[in-house]
Amino acid sequence: MNRRQIVKGMAATMGGLLVLPAWASAWNTASLQGFQSKLSGLEEALLAEIVETIIPETDTPGAKKLEVHRFVEKIITDCYDQKSRTTFAKGLTRVASMATQSYAKPFLSCTPAQRLEVLTTMSKSADADEQNFIRLARSLTIRGYLSSEYVMTKLMGYEMAPGRYLGCVPVKA
Amino acid sequence: MANLNTDAIKRRTYDAIVIGSGISGGWAAKELTGKGLKTLVLERGREVKHVVDYPTAQLHPWELPNRGQMRSGVNEANPVVSKCYAFGEATEQFFVKDAEHPYVQEKPFDWIRGYQTGGKSLLWARQTQRWSKYDFEGPARDGFAVEWPISYDDLAPWYSYVEKFAGISGNRDGVAALPDGEFLPPHPMNCVEQYFSESMAKTFGGARPIIIGRCAHITQPQPIHLEQGRSKCAHRTLCERGCPLGGYFSSNASTLPWAAKTGKMTLRPHSVVHSIIYDEKKQKAVGVRVIDSNTKETEEFYAKIIFVNAAALNSNLILLNSTSNRFPNGLGNDNGLLGKYIAFHNYRATINANYEGYLDKTTEGRRPNSAYIPRFRNLLKQETDFLRGYASGFSANRGQRDDRNGWGEDLKTGILNPKLNDFWSVGSHMMGETIPKESNYVALDKDQRDPWGIPQLRISVDYDENDVKMTKDFFEQLTEMYTKAGFTNIRTNDSNRTPGLDIHEMGGVRMGKDPKTSLLNEWNQLHHCKNVFVTDGACMTSTATQNPSLTYMAFTARAADYAVKQLKAKNL
Repeated sequence: MNRRQIVKGMAATMGGLLVLPAWASAWNTASLQGFQSKLSGLEEALLAEIVETIIPETDTPGAKKLEVHRFVEKIITDCYDQKSRTTFAKGLTRVASMATQSYAKPFLSCTPAQRLEVLTTMSKSADADEQNFIRLARSLTIRGYLSSEYVMTKLMGYEMAPGRYLGCVPVKA
Repeated sequence: MANLNTDAIKRRTYDAIVIGSGISGGWAAKELTGKGLKTLVLERGREVKHVVDYPTAQLHPWELPNRGQMRSGVNEANPVVSKCYAFGEATEQFFVKDAEHPYVQEKPFDWIRGYQTGGKSLLWARQTQRWSKYDFEGPARDGFAVEWPISYDDLAPWYSYVEKFAGISGNRDGVAALPDGEFLPPHPMNCVEQYFSESMAKTFGGARPIIIGRCAHITQPQPIHLEQGRSKCAHRTLCERGCPLGGYFSSNASTLPWAAKTGKMTLRPHSVVHSIIYDEKKQKAVGVRVIDSNTKETEEFYAKIIFVNAAALNSNLILLNSTSNRFPNGLGNDNGLLGKYIAFHNYRATINANYEGYLDKTTEGRRPNSAYIPRFRNLLKQETDFLRGYASGFSANRGQRDDRNGWGEDLKTGILNPKLNDFWSVGSHMMGETIPKESNYVALDKDQRDPWGIPQLRISVDYDENDVKMTKDFFEQLTEMYTKAGFTNIRTNDSNRTPGLDIHEMGGVRMGKDPKTSLLNEWNQLHHCKNVFVTDGACMTSTATQNPSLTYMAFTARAADYAVKQLKAKNL
């Protein structure tokens, strides 16, 4: 059922008193679709593999497929101050250079294990910027993943309108 | 020319003018149009139509542009409004931006405002507890402020009247401090809330009841609600975005469309009221001076009666700015008390704890409500070293946590499989009555003007020693109650937050029996200008502990009924 149908249904229960507003037909327009990435193709691919390393594909999609890298870039751009944006940009560069130093190849050509090694090494780095970058990348990846449509609807039982509150139900084993 | 002029005046003449379209203005509009009066409703903000103008109401979390996080710079640019719990990415369109609506903080005061059709009725917390006789008798008994000119019995039928229309869910608890009303089925308390209620009944023998909150949600629609186009609350708990179902009461969903249906209402948005026009010859108010916020032009509208429902502090501002030869200090202000005796609710204290019982139980779904502890302090007699008392919220939640420590597949497993906590989280917040004092006041600033050329409101409101003592008592009493219930890890917190954030500012145009010490009489009429009625928070003589909106609604319906009767009897 799409949004328009739901709103129409609501209109019917309310005696059809309303004209459908513009947002009613926007059901499938994920908020990220309007977002123009400022990253180069290579940088975007790098960020995609970083979020995928943090939350990889298994029998369910990983962060890359759910476009979490686009979410991360958007949030950094829209919601963080200049300092954090700089930390983030520098962190991306650092991931790339660390991969080259450690494995003599780009991050994108590294194995999943090597990629993970790069990120975990940075997370324990003595350099505060590197640590902050990883902390930010991890927390935003987790947030973007958990708040994605796929995870919320397919994996976490999201209900916009539960229609109920039960105050005392047995814990499921 | 003369004819033209007469026509122009006629076009601008109504039977009644209502200033403000929020929770009380909506009621004034509904009652006055319902009784046949051609009514002009002036709203200073933009128009917000039910459903159509709720742009975020249907957005899923992944559809919000930043998934709930505010854009950088917005909170910094809005140091006051961004403190409000309800301000966020999905709701910011219903709050005024700090820079656009300046005021002077003689003492720190977080003034939270919603300038649009429906005002803050889109944003309110929807708790609707009646006052009791103990609340109305408070000032006279305890010797503060002035005596209320009405009793609970005067207002009780009007509580019933507005409750039936608004749709109030609640349980008939038989608590004297919080009279029962006309209730739709209550929300349930959960196991731990129920346990706490029973535990306190054993400990205090009924003196400290714990009940489910009464709230303005339609749990079972009645014909009167369906007729408004409203339906059952779907437990979305996205209320502050505007409810497309009309599941909770707002002016937008309920009173304003009802008034519009009569064909008697003209709703004029972008209309900033400058002042009420007093006619020295007729010795009454004859209209309202409005600045159109789009054109900045001044226009006048005329009516036989005027209802002032601009929200408590703005109603004060309008009256203070309504000067004439007869009233050089503001309309009806012969005693100089207009703007004084402002009070609010003390919400600065919270207490949280854990409970390790009922670990085989949890909750399901969501509830736009919580449990409630009616005021028990100083209720029947003075028993502490501070005046009055406090009510409290109470809620219990079976929280969960996920494991975010790993990387890769471990992390994925950790965050997709949150585990229930091995305890319930419980908590209460204090809702304390503050004592109206002459030293807590609002006034017009002598120099600074707002963008419409109207003097800015100067606010000087603060806590006093009574509030400090009450806060301490709240911590002591709730700690004792929590301890006796077997709660552990009890943590108290005094946020010291600034007055205003409670959004329960009241007074300044208080009701009373004596024109020497009050501004309004028992019918919410200005003592000295009888065709002006003030029925929002400005009229409050004292504040009690209950969330105030339901009481404003009842006052408004009662005053409108009286006003129309007086009008028909040609007394106004």
